[in-house]
Amino acid sequence: MVKLDEVVDAKIDEAIKELLSGEKPWITIVWDDPVNLMTYVTYVLMELFGFSREKAHELMMQIHTQGKAVVSTGSREEMEHDVARLHEYGLWATLQRGDQTI
Amino acid sequence: MSNGVDEIKSGFTRHGNNDYVAYFSPEESEVLVNLVEQIIELLGERTDNHSDDPLAAMVGITTHDSPPEDDVLLRLLPNAYADQVDASEFRRYTELTLRTKKSAHAMSMRIDLKSSPDGCIEVDHEGANAWLGAMNDIRLALGVRLKVQENSYEELEILAPDDPMRGVYAVYSWLGWLQESLIQALMDDAL
Repeated sequence: MVKLDEVVDAKIDEAIKELLSGEKPWITIVWDDPVNLMTYVTYVLMELFGFSREKAHELMMQIHTQGKAVVSTGSREEMEHDVARLHEYGLWATLQRGDQTI
Repeated sequence: MSNGVDEIKSGFTRHGNNDYVAYFSPEESEVLVNLVEQIIELLGERTDNHSDDPLAAMVGITTHDSPPEDDVLLRLLPNAYADQVDASEFRRYTELTLRTKKSAHAMSMRIDLKSSPDGCIEVDHEGANAWLGAMNDIRLALGVRLKVQENSYEELEILAPDDPMRGVYAVYSWLGWLQESLIQALMDDAL
């Protein structure tokens, strides 16, 4: 027979897991900018994130046509690091929680 | 974003596996040095507001956390968060580092130009990235002054000959073309 405290422990573990998995990651967004060259944006995304040329081009086109694109997701610290690197190369980037409206 | 301007000049070309070469006339070099020095000066402007706390200064924390009032500086050092409180906090801990990194790009470009009396610039991959960053910062700065928008290129193309912005736009276009040539040279490399 299963002991009551084991059941309680299992329940608590489950609740913690649920809490953790429910936590939305942070995202880095690059915004469209009238000055930055399209090829430059592609190149910077390749350099900083190691994207293939196709992937970088696709994201650049999304930025250009839709005004913005999510270029990376992860912890808040990681996204702050990504935004700082994008700012270093003059791309217009911000970070926010993944579950926030962009 | 904008498309590069097509012109029949060489700009940067790739030499060997990892070198990128461009030739500039004395006038072109002078214009580039002048612009890059303005960026260095601009980026240094707020460093006087350092914290009095030497430890904070040492780890790159600044006391000011408000966004720059100057539009050009704000574009070079933008907010990382839409939320003002988060943006200020982030700025406090990172703005000095961002300034330092951008200045390093600009100074690298300045040194390359200053140390080449014949106008021949040769950079490796890392040097090329510094040039790209610095040229982009100059273009961002000029773009703010020219009030460049997605659809403003047609208006800028037909500025009156006596409009002081005409010369600025000419330099802006030339820099876009120069930057494009270096990107093309670097992208060929990646093939």
